[in-house]
Formats: sequence, C-alpha cells, structure tokens
Amino acid sequence: MLGGVFHAATLFLVAAGLQLVFGVQRIVNLACGSFYALGAYFGVSMVKWALDAGAPQLLLLAILLASGVLLAAIGPVVERVLRTIYGRDESFQMLLTFALVLMFEDVIRFFWGTSPHQMGNLYLVYGQLKAGDLTIPVYNFIVIAAGGLIAALMGGMLRRTRWGRIVRATAENPRMSAALGVDITRVYVRVFTLGTALGTVGGALVIPVTAAMTEMGIDLIVEAFAVVVIGGLGSMRGAFAGALIVGVLRAVAIATYPEVEMLAIYLVVIAVLVIRPAGLFARAAT
Amino acid sequence: MTTTRRNFLKGLGGAAVAAGARLDAAPAFAQSGPIKVGALVIKAGVGALPGEYGLRGTQWATDRINASGGILGRKIELLIEEESSPKDTVERFRKLALQNKVDVIVGVISTGVGLAIGQVAEELKTLWLAWDGTTQKGVEETMPTPKYAFRSVDNEAEAVMSSILTAKYFRGKFKTVAGLNPDYSYGRDNWAAFLAIMKKYNMGVTPVTDLWPKLGTTDFTSHVAALQQAKPDLIFSSLWAADVSIFLKQAHAAGMTANTKFVFPVAGLVHETLKKAFTPAGMILGYNTMYFEMANPSPLLRQFTRDHYEKYKEWPSYESDHAYFVIAAYKAAVERAAKAIGGKWPSTDQIIQALEGIEVESLSGMRSYRKDHIMEANFYQGLTTYKNKYDFVTIEPVEVMTTKQIQKPSGVGLYDWINSWKV
Repeated sequence: MLGGVFHAATLFLVAAGLQLVFGVQRIVNLACGSFYALGAYFGVSMVKWALDAGAPQLLLLAILLASGVLLAAIGPVVERVLRTIYGRDESFQMLLTFALVLMFEDVIRFFWGTSPHQMGNLYLVYGQLKAGDLTIPVYNFIVIAAGGLIAALMGGMLRRTRWGRIVRATAENPRMSAALGVDITRVYVRVFTLGTALGTVGGALVIPVTAAMTEMGIDLIVEAFAVVVIGGLGSMRGAFAGALIVGVLRAVAIATYPEVEMLAIYLVVIAVLVIRPAGLFARAAT
Repeated sequence: MTTTRRNFLKGLGGAAVAAGARLDAAPAFAQSGPIKVGALVIKAGVGALPGEYGLRGTQWATDRINASGGILGRKIELLIEEESSPKDTVERFRKLALQNKVDVIVGVISTGVGLAIGQVAEELKTLWLAWDGTTQKGVEETMPTPKYAFRSVDNEAEAVMSSILTAKYFRGKFKTVAGLNPDYSYGRDNWAAFLAIMKKYNMGVTPVTDLWPKLGTTDFTSHVAALQQAKPDLIFSSLWAADVSIFLKQAHAAGMTANTKFVFPVAGLVHETLKKAFTPAGMILGYNTMYFEMANPSPLLRQFTRDHYEKYKEWPSYESDHAYFVIAAYKAAVERAAKAIGGKWPSTDQIIQALEGIEVESLSGMRSYRKDHIMEANFYQGLTTYKNKYDFVTIEPVEVMTTKQIQKPSGVGLYDWINSWKV
C-alpha cells in the first residue's frame, strides 16, 4: 500500500502540472512529462556537482528541490512557444506539445547521452525505518510528504491568496479578467512556470529512488492522463484523488493479480468515463 | 572545319567506341565506389541504449576496415536510419534497399521489428544481418527458411545459461523462486525456460509469484512490496535496461538483497549502473556475448575496450559485439566469395553462400553463422564480485558457454530440446 502511495505522490506532481495549465490556459500540455524527465536529469547533475564541491549528503533534499525550482526557468520560454496556439483546437495543441516531448528527448540525449543516470545509494542517506519484517527507506516518506505538502500549498494558494483568486478568475473567464485589469499574459506565464516547476521538482525529488532515462517522461504522461480522466480535467483535487486511486490500485494489483496491473487502472478510467464523463472532481482550477 | 562524310563516320565510330567503353565500365564503376551499408538503429525509448551500443560497434568496425583499405579496396559508407515501429522500419528498409541501393543492411534489435524486416528482406532480395531480436515466438513461423535474412543468437540462450548456472551454484540453497520479468515475449519466454530447466534438473523449487513490470519501469516500490510478501529465496529477472539498477536499489533499500539470491541473465548490458552500493555480491549476472573485463582479453577486445572508454568514458557493452560481428562477417564473406571467382566483386547470392558457415573473430572470440543463418557465439556469465577497481560489480569466476551448449539446434522446439537433455 505504501508503495502505491509513493507512486501516487510522484504521479500527482506531474498530473497537477497538467491540470493547472489546462485549467487556466486550456492547453493540453503533454510536455509536462518532459519537465519531469528533465528535472530528474538536472537533479542528478546538480547533486553530483554539489557533492563534488563539498556539500554534505544530508543536503540532498534541499539540492534537489533547488534544482527543480531552478530548472522551472524553462517554463516562460516554452510558454512563449505555446502562446501561438492558445485557442486552437486541442488536437493541434496535443500535436505541438508532443513534438516538444520528442524535442526534449533529443535535448536530454544531447546533454546526458543515452545511458541511464543515477546517484548510487544516496537514497538511504536519511536512513531506513523497520516495522516487523518490513524495511522502508525514510526517503520514501519524504517524497510522500512532499507530494502532500505541495498539494496543500497549491490548494491554499489558489483558494486563499490574491494571486490565487486572480488565477481562478482567469480560468473562469479570461476576457472578463482582462477587462478588469488583469494582465492575462503575465498570469499565463506564471501559471505555466508553476506547472513546469511541479514537473521538474517531481522529477528531481524522485531521482534518488530511481534512475533517469530518456523515456521516463512519456511513460508518466500516459499514467497522468489516467489520473486526469479519473479526477476530472482541470481539477487540482481531482489530480490528488486520481493519483491516489491509480497509485494504490496499481500496488494492490501487483500484490494480488500482477497480470491485471494495467487492466485494473483502465477499468476505473472506463467506468468514470461512462458514469461520470467529466471526472470525479470536474471543476476548473479548484 | 566542315564536316565531311568521312569525318562524320569517324566521329560516329569514336562515339560508339566511347559508348561501348562506358557500357563496359558501368559495372566496374559500381564496384569501385563505396560499399553502402544501411544500418537500422533504435534511437528512442528503452531500446535507445542497446541501439547506441550497436551503432558504436558498427562505427568502430567501419572505421577500422576503412583505415585498412576497405573491403577489396572499397570503403564502407554508412547510411543510418531509425528502427522504430515494425511498419515504419519496414518503410525505411525499403528506402535503403530501393532508393539508396545499399549493398547490405545491418541492425534491428526488437523481435517484433525483426519479424517484419525478415519478410521484406526476402521480398526485396536484400541481404540483412540482424544484431539482435530473436525471441522464439513467431520466428520459425515467419522466417522458416530465410535466404537473405541472417539472424542473431536466440534470445533465450542467456536464460538457458543462467538456469544451468543456477543449478550449478545454488542447488539445495533455495526452495522458493519468484520471477520479475519484463512483460513481453522475451520476459515470458525466459521465465518459462528457467522453470523448465529447474524442473529438468530436479531442483525441487516452488514458484511463489511472477511479476510482469512494463519494460522500462522506473518505480518498483510496489513490486518490491509484493516480493517481500511472497518471500522467495531466489528471484529470476530478465530485466535488461535501467530498470535493473532501479529495482536493485529499491530492493536493497527494503533490505531484500541481504538474504535473497538473484539471477539476472542479461543485466550486463547496463553493467556500469550496477553499483556496489546496492548490488549484492554472489548473484548470477550475464553479459550476453561480450564481457569487457576478461582476464586475458584478445588484442581486438583490448583495443575496442580502450578506444570505447577513451571516446565515450564508458566501458563497452555486448550489443557492440553483435554489431561488430555482422560487419566483420560481411567483409570476410565478400573476400571469401571474391577469391572463389578470381577476385571480382561477388553477387549477393555468392556473398550469402559465403556467409553460411563462416567463422570470424569478433570482440568476444570466434563467432560464426550456422547454415540456417543463425549466429553462434560464446556467452559470458558469472557471480558478481566487488573485487575490481570500479564502483560497479564485475563477475568472478567468468563462466563461458558456447551456443552449441545453450542454443537449441536447428528445427527443434526450445522445450523439446530442453526435455531431451540428459542431466
């Protein structure tokens, strides 16, 4: 079960980025998977650089978070490219953002090569917890806590801050917001950068547990879509619930009937599409 | 000058002679230009890693041959196309064969793509020397008696060798076994072969679970939890990409590597990722047909390993050997066929005839093609050790088996062959 929650935490960060950008800008951004992959690669490089420069291993988490946030600087650049297709048909947007996915794969190959990158055993730098026969690395709990904390912060920011209200208003009616003096372009840039940061931080956070490989983003996009369909496109609460459902369902299937791992997830997707097509929490940017 | 009838006829005669000379010269021109070698290389997804190693082996072989004067004086020119889906790769194969008019096509790693390419190679009468991608299912049906397609070693050979080594090293030391294999025909066939051999060797072991992660999985926490629940004494896994180190890292973090035995028939592809920090010593690890750290390497392997490290800052992997071999075999076959016909450039049929049964030195020792167009080679596996200068594991002792021992003979089913063993 804990394995499922851990998976859900990383899945949530990518799906949340997808949700936020769609909720506000109406862009189906497949490149959110690439941000996750780039975050992982950049995280490995930054940690290696920092440790070589004499940083203590215990700073691992801080270095990774910083690298994820730093890398989010690519957000405004990508948003500038996507600005040309606001309001275009969704299939067109998906094609363009998928092209970005392929381009980012080449960028990764150019800078980091095709071999997987990882960071040895740093995963265990914060120790392990023992419960009976089970041994669980503390880092797993850190990722889960980070996922939960980011979800709470996102919720709080969107609901309780002035900027959050502006974002929600822009999501509901961009023209009216603009008429009331909201700088829509700036809101879009910031929202997209925040969505990018969710992906890059997610990739950076998960890298000690896994290994960075070029295709890791594409795999996650597919799962993130299942999350979005279950939770409802554009809903932050939906991303949280959808990620939990997909993560836990996957873990239970692997433990009981490993053959039906994918089947179980997509049965739920189909059920949601049939019974509640808009998803469990279908409300834009809430 | 006015043109007289005599001058005109002279000119006409000269032109005819020149034209005749050009007609005669046409084949000579074709034989004196570069040899066009098409290469189908995976560049995206999980397969990009072996694809890259294959390309490195091809380029090293090509540079080496060109530096020594080419094949019968002709340099090799590489034309690289991408291996992706079967449909798209077939189109690129056609382009190489029909538009680029290549002399030979090398490459392809995926079995699914290979099955499609095998058929089109026969249809276009284009020589194709595969690097890899030869799981059992479908190969006999799709390519029963290939003429233009030359296949790699059977993919199950490494699982057969690992299973034999499991019986040798771990007999009586485990009672329960779990499988963790990629969810496609290769993973399924390897697990089935392992269980069949355990039965054949009367190992008396019970499978407690079999898990089927998707190829290239990056999160094994749920699989590790399921394995902790099943408590197997030994885990057999034919994972081969970055997923091997991810699984081992997560299994180690969960305390599983201390008392569980592991068998990884082909994880040597990503040997540098198997860090000592989380990879247990004493597990069976396979390097397919090339082990970079041989105690007494051949001069060829020593040179390749050195060049590879200098250029890429990585220690080489076996896919380079498959790729090197097909180029070396092609060169040897052309030279052998040419010798038989007085030094002229041989036809494709003559090259094919020369390839059948050919034996040449590869990076892993002598390798050959059987008469049924399947490769024969040595396989290298052993028990992991920390006794080396690297931060990753190597193997000691190094066990070597030939495909004569671990690859089913022509015309026999894999399981019929295993059942026929006398153990």
